[in-house]
Amino acid sequence: MKNRGIMIAIQHEDVDIGRLINDAKRAGTGAVVVFDGVVRDDDIREMELEAYEEVARRELEKIAEDATRLHDLFHVDIVHRIGRLSVGENILIIVVSAGHRPEAYAGSRYIIEEIKKGVPVWKKELRREGDRWVPGEHPHGSGKSK
Amino acid sequence: MTVKVRFFARFRELLGTDILAEPESGTVFASLVKDIAKKNREGYDAIFDGNGNFREFVILMLNGKRLEASDAVTLTVTDGDEIAVFPPVAGG
Repeated sequence: MKNRGIMIAIQHEDVDIGRLINDAKRAGTGAVVVFDGVVRDDDIREMELEAYEEVARRELEKIAEDATRLHDLFHVDIVHRIGRLSVGENILIIVVSAGHRPEAYAGSRYIIEEIKKGVPVWKKELRREGDRWVPGEHPHGSGKSK
Repeated sequence: MTVKVRFFARFRELLGTDILAEPESGTVFASLVKDIAKKNREGYDAIFDGNGNFREFVILMLNGKRLEASDAVTLTVTDGDEIAVFPPVAGG
């Protein structure tokens, strides 16, 4: 039985991705996939990230557990940064390990797509010509009142 | 009783957050949000449409769990509840 693990963090600080990769390796690991979402240079000065932390952490844990079960992952790290970030800085780091690359790639992709769907985190672009909240990719809400 | 109301992102900028409301017994979720939102016209208009209904993209939570807008107009809040109201998420 492999020692499966999940680490979730919502934090201001950056992380040492190399250390996460090393720590993700378990007996039987054949692939580690890293997703690193960074602040893109879309003519912005900085980006401000905000989270409903208690709920976001719980939802990230659920996504990591589901990904582990569905894609037979050995280890999952999800680190979502909040606060003010500059162009090129890491926003979201996902590190997964698995026995083989298909599971590792699929598990990583599953996690990022699920995060985009509903985890309560918001981004604001700080621009010279005025700030702008980034619209979500899944703009569904709680629906209309009766 | 005391109910904590949390707004996030643009709604937070317009209305503030971590508001400790003291509604009367029997107050409905939607009414409580509406009363608080009325203090800022832009904030109210961001959350409610011209008929006073939650805009379709608005996300509601009660104690960390999603709530349908159709339920928010009938569900009464209770002491210690935490309400959250926010726009579509954009993490990752």
